Amino acid sequence: MKKCRFASQIDDYLLDRLEGGAKEQFEEHYFNCVNCFREMEERDALISTIKLQGARLFREPAASKRADWVPAWKRAFSSFTPRQWATVGVAAAALLIVVFGALPRFRGSSPQFVLSETEVVRGESLTLMSPIIDVRSVPNYFEWKSLGQDVEYKISLYNGELLWTASTKENRIQVPEETRQRMQPGQRFAWQVRAFSPRGALIAVSSKVQFQIAPAE
Amino acid sequence: MENRPPEVDLNEVVVKYRPVVSFKVRKSLGARTPDWEDVVNEVITQVIEKVRKGEFRGDSSIGTFIYTITSRRIIDHIRQKTKVLRSVPEPVPIPDPCDDAESRERAKILAQAIQQLKPKFKEVLNLYYYQELTRDEVADRLGISPRRVSERINYAQKLLRKIIKT
Repeated sequence: MKKCRFASQIDDYLLDRLEGGAKEQFEEHYFNCVNCFREMEERDALISTIKLQGARLFREPAASKRADWVPAWKRAFSSFTPRQWATVGVAAAALLIVVFGALPRFRGSSPQFVLSETEVVRGESLTLMSPIIDVRSVPNYFEWKSLGQDVEYKISLYNGELLWTASTKENRIQVPEETRQRMQPGQRFAWQVRAFSPRGALIAVSSKVQFQIAPAE
Repeated sequence: MENRPPEVDLNEVVVKYRPVVSFKVRKSLGARTPDWEDVVNEVITQVIEKVRKGEFRGDSSIGTFIYTITSRRIIDHIRQKTKVLRSVPEPVPIPDPCDDAESRERAKILAQAIQQLKPKFKEVLNLYYYQELTRDEVADRLGISPRRVSERINYAQKLLRKIIKT
């Protein structure tokens, strides 16, 4: 059976690709041609289903995707020529020199940590040595690990609020008598030390250590 | 001598043309338009009245006569609707549960049949009908000729018919 010449326009009509006169001509035709109308109804059902469910119908199965998957770095490097490989090698070497050679020189001049509101989050820390646990009597000294020369330390002592603060270039400091008198047995205290570079840049912070003076017997 | 209008079997006209008129109305107004069926009924009523009044003289085919009435009624409906929409809010459409269930079932069967097609046929349906690429664009994408694209589309449809029948 010879196919109607309008049959080839069915898809274009259903996909709204026919305009003006061509569209009207086609519409008038299917009012007169049973075969074209039947074919169009069938095609319309197919297109409607595909339009509604296409996202699901044509989704690639996850398994086959996984099998074909190649990591991005593998895809990138697979197309490298020997010359490009050499360039990558030189660049990597230069990067290593910068990281392990040049960067340590700047270590003392800039802070290497980030603080939250009250605590050290990361970076170089400062280790407190004494007192770090409960003590029998009011301490005479506070001591911490040295970070080297030309470092200025600022100590802060708290008993709920700031009780005393002082600065020194040593890694220990004597507690003034006036402050000692305000430190009563049985009370809890916390202390913290911050280290500054000669330029005044913060370079290290200790954690806040708590201690208690044993209650008087 | 006066030309007598051709004899028209109105029952046959209604049975034969209702689906055609419905298709055209749905396509023009959108199947979600709640009153598309009212428009179809109005068209059929007009056709019957005009034929009875002898307005169909046989200058064109009955199909063309009905097509002309349908097109005019759709245009009138759109004009009327535009006026109504300007003054009154659109009532909420009431879906026909039977129609919905039936078409949903048909669509489900068709979707299952599409799933069973070979990837090369699914791919061509995806690009041509879902992504709406032209035949030439599909051909470019798949590295085959446009003629081959048409063949694959036609063959896919033939396969779907076969799967649905079995």
